[in-house]
Amino acid sequence: MRFRIQYLMTSQCLAVAVLALLLCTRASAIDAPYPGPFIENDQLLIVLMPHTPEQMAAFYEARGFPRDAIDLIRQTCFVTVHVENKSRSTLWLEQKNLLTTSNGKPLARLGKKYWDGQWNKINLRMASRSTFGWTQLPLVRDLQPDEPAGGNIAFPGTTESFDLEARFYLGQDKRGGMLVTRFENIQCPKDEPAP
Amino acid sequence: MKINTRTVCMCLLLAGLTFNGLAAALPPGVMQVDGVPAPALKLANLDGEDYDLANNRGHWIFVHFWASWCGPCRREMPSIQKMTDILADSGIEFLLVNTSETDDEVFTFLGIVAPDLMPLMDLDGQATELWQPRGLPASYLVDPAGRIQYQALGGREWEKPVYLDFLRGLRSR
Repeated sequence: MRFRIQYLMTSQCLAVAVLALLLCTRASAIDAPYPGPFIENDQLLIVLMPHTPEQMAAFYEARGFPRDAIDLIRQTCFVTVHVENKSRSTLWLEQKNLLTTSNGKPLARLGKKYWDGQWNKINLRMASRSTFGWTQLPLVRDLQPDEPAGGNIAFPGTTESFDLEARFYLGQDKRGGMLVTRFENIQCPKDEPAP
Repeated sequence: MKINTRTVCMCLLLAGLTFNGLAAALPPGVMQVDGVPAPALKLANLDGEDYDLANNRGHWIFVHFWASWCGPCRREMPSIQKMTDILADSGIEFLLVNTSETDDEVFTFLGIVAPDLMPLMDLDGQATELWQPRGLPASYLVDPAGRIQYQALGGREWEKPVYLDFLRGLRSR
């Protein structure tokens, strides 16, 4: 897997951009301090943690999710995303700016509308819907300095691997530049075959 | 001794700026918010006793949303237990709101980690939805008039002096 980060320059913030260019890093998976692919610099930390269907099923089963919900969860590729604002400015986490592709084509994620529809079909109780909702990545978050945010993004279970380009605006008014991070060939892990 | 009027003005200005700076200083991760009225919070606690935030005015209230499956919540809870012990006589009321878990799940977790804390049970998660936390855990400080004045981002080390001093000083804010 390869990861890279770059900084897009905007005319409004040349100075910030020049500074940030100096901070550009190539993330390394060697001696990884996090449980998955990550990019860390002094502007942000982003970590991806793909899970097997068994791991996800076990998590929600332990929280009393019914069998039909667990079946749906097993058919899904979940990746936990952790983002932490390490800058001294607002950093905008916006799901619309997380661009996922597979084999060069856009790869749609399974979002709130999809899950609400599924939960309606099986009449999932409110407590489980709430728990599921809190475990998903927020749609938008104006992350303050040092503030973390995390949660899952979901793909159809048929997904083998994907690339993720994550763009983050900086500044309360989003005019402080944009950080661009890129992860390539993130795998959707499958369950180990039973012995 | 002759004192230059300009110097006096400058000193007063600097003193004012310093005072304002101190007054505005907040511990890490604590944000001042707009003083919006706190949403409804009417729940029963783990013992089945009813609680209504609307009937509890006249003092500061620390409202904390959490769930035992949330890693940062688990890490933060011992710190909250210590804070509530230390600030027991501070006049601040501490409310823990568990989001969408069962009595058994909460009892099992808190019984080990923070046995003295008595959470309100948001069994269907709808009270939490009203508050729209930025994530779990989430903590709010509601003033004596029932308005949210501060919000803490993520888990905090509440037993540290910087947070304890801030909380003790709420009455003068």
